[in-house]
Amino acid sequence: MTNYKLCIIPCNGLDKSLGIIARTVALKTIEKEPKIELICPVLLNNGEKKYEEILKSSKIVVVDGCMTGCATKLIEERNLKIFKKVFIPEMSKKFKLKPGKNLILTEEGINLAKTIATELIESLDRSDDEITIEYKEIEDIDYFDITVDKFYFRVPKSGFNFNENDCWIKPEGDLGLIGITDYLQNSASDIMFVELPEIGGKIEQFDDVGSFESVKTVLQLISPVSGEIVSINKLLEKQPELLNQDPYGKGWFAEIKLANFEEDKELLMDCSEYFEYMKNKIMKESEHLKKMKSEKND
Amino acid sequence: MGEGYDADKETFMSVPRKKIPWWPTIDYEKCDFCMECDKFCPHNVYAKTNDDNKKLIVKNPYNCVVFCRVCAKACAPNALKFPDKRKITKLIKKLRSEQKGESQ
Ligand code: SF4
Ligand code: SF4
Repeated sequence: MTNYKLCIIPCNGLDKSLGIIARTVALKTIEKEPKIELICPVLLNNGEKKYEEILKSSKIVVVDGCMTGCATKLIEERNLKIFKKVFIPEMSKKFKLKPGKNLILTEEGINLAKTIATELIESLDRSDDEITIEYKEIEDIDYFDITVDKFYFRVPKSGFNFNENDCWIKPEGDLGLIGITDYLQNSASDIMFVELPEIGGKIEQFDDVGSFESVKTVLQLISPVSGEIVSINKLLEKQPELLNQDPYGKGWFAEIKLANFEEDKELLMDCSEYFEYMKNKIMKESEHLKKMKSEKND
Repeated sequence: MGEGYDADKETFMSVPRKKIPWWPTIDYEKCDFCMECDKFCPHNVYAKTNDDNKKLIVKNPYNCVVFCRVCAKACAPNALKFPDKRKITKLIKKLRSEQKGESQ
């Protein structure tokens, strides 16, 4: 087992089977690996001191039953990092086992929880291997910028192409870095969890190549280009805040060996085109918000 | 995101949004009406109904962001289907070149 301390916190949502599966996953995990500390989310929410200490001194595994992400929120509120996240609907699809609708788990539901726990332990063992983090030299970028209602948005002045899903590609020869724009990171607000693609994966233009999560929402990176993933920015797993701080630089997501950039480019915008597109979008949203506010006040 | 959206006026990649058939389809054989997708989508695509067989429908398909698939993540029974992305990309290219032809 791992050479660092681990704890596990399930959402334990008792209003649907997904939450009960989350709880069962946590129980099955500590049954197999008693060294992992179990955190009760309800007690933690009540301010249990012992848990606060465990959370600070261990790596945290979060098990969420649904998009509400209650377990994730408890960690986020404490400004702690999530080491690994288990999301029940995703696992249910992966193992082709249904959670069921009833609050008393079916045999299939229990099976699902057991399977997830087994896989979780295996993956924790694997992540024991030192991960190598690849640092990329990022040159200084010149930006167009605009401030709207306290929000500050930037778009590089050159060297990037964009799709209308607010993701960028920075081509360099037959390779390219991809990532998300300032617009997307702003609409997510504080990003606390990132799911990166696998190295070696082949992707097509507009494929979903990864996702990132804030307390507010989950967003996807929709690839502007086709090709093969040759490296990923592992640092984002440790410091997801880089996506907020430096989305065009240190917050790069993945590096792609470009398959067909000239053709892909026909459907992409250049820097000034994207800046105009983004400005339009922001203005529309801001006007709409103002209208809603004034309607409320009327 | 998605605020102030008027599908009639919107374009995606310069093509009228209404010409692009991209939105989720609910497989009612699989859906268990957990409503997670509706809770999650910020664009008001889904709507609840009183029909017991179709408690949830795709009400505003053109509000769906072309190429977005993120609500499918929330769906444990895998009941949400999206169109073939390649076909949609091809269609967008075709419509764009037609538009170019017209404007010349
Ligand atoms: S794909 Fe995206 S925009 Fe479309 S319904 Fe799902 S969450 Fe909403
Ligand atoms: S998330 Fe899936 S199962 Fe739940 S209501 Fe939506 S389509 Fe149906």
